Amino acid sequence: MSDKRNIQDQKRRLLGEKYELRRKLYKAFSKDTDLPNDVREKHRCKLADLPRNSSFTRVTNRCVFTGRARSVYQMFRVSRIVFRDLASRGLLHGVKKASW
Amino acid sequence: MSLRSMLAQAAVIGVNEARAKIFGHVLNPTGQRSAHKILRKKFIGEKVASWYPDNIHKEDPLVVARKEQERLSKLEMLKRRGKGPPKKGQGKRAAKRSK
Repeated sequence: MSDKRNIQDQKRRLLGEKYELRRKLYKAFSKDTDLPNDVREKHRCKLADLPRNSSFTRVTNRCVFTGRARSVYQMFRVSRIVFRDLASRGLLHGVKKASW
Repeated sequence: MSLRSMLAQAAVIGVNEARAKIFGHVLNPTGQRSAHKILRKKFIGEKVASWYPDNIHKEDPLVVARKEQERLSKLEMLKRRGKGPPKKGQGKRAAKRSK
């Protein structure tokens, strides 16, 4: 079940990478105040026509092991539960229990 | 006083323009809305797409072959017992539909 969500997320990531340049271009064109209004509107329409899954806002950083969407650390790409598990076993390099 | 400040201002503006001309910067002294703000950001697509690591179980040919063997042997066992998948058109739903 978690794998299905991971697959969907991976699909969104690939689409986002594919359409990134175009998206940026259209957005930049449509926000430029020096251009005539109809050009801006045309680019705004083009931006809206792009697939929704190509937006980076739709991408979530899921845990690589469990697929958990919340409390996932970007540095390790794992959720807090798996992080605790791995770190206690010593599998994470340079991570140890803090005490000061 | 005012003359000196005007001269200083002119000098600063001149220096800014020269710097922009040399290094290729985009100037916006009036602070109007500009598309440069969107265009100057770097691309993140590659970093985003490489979040999930490759699944070693799917890439390694040995592991893939072993899994395929197991699947086929399991099918053999079921067929021997008579529990394998039925022929096309013989299943429950297909029989009901044809009737």
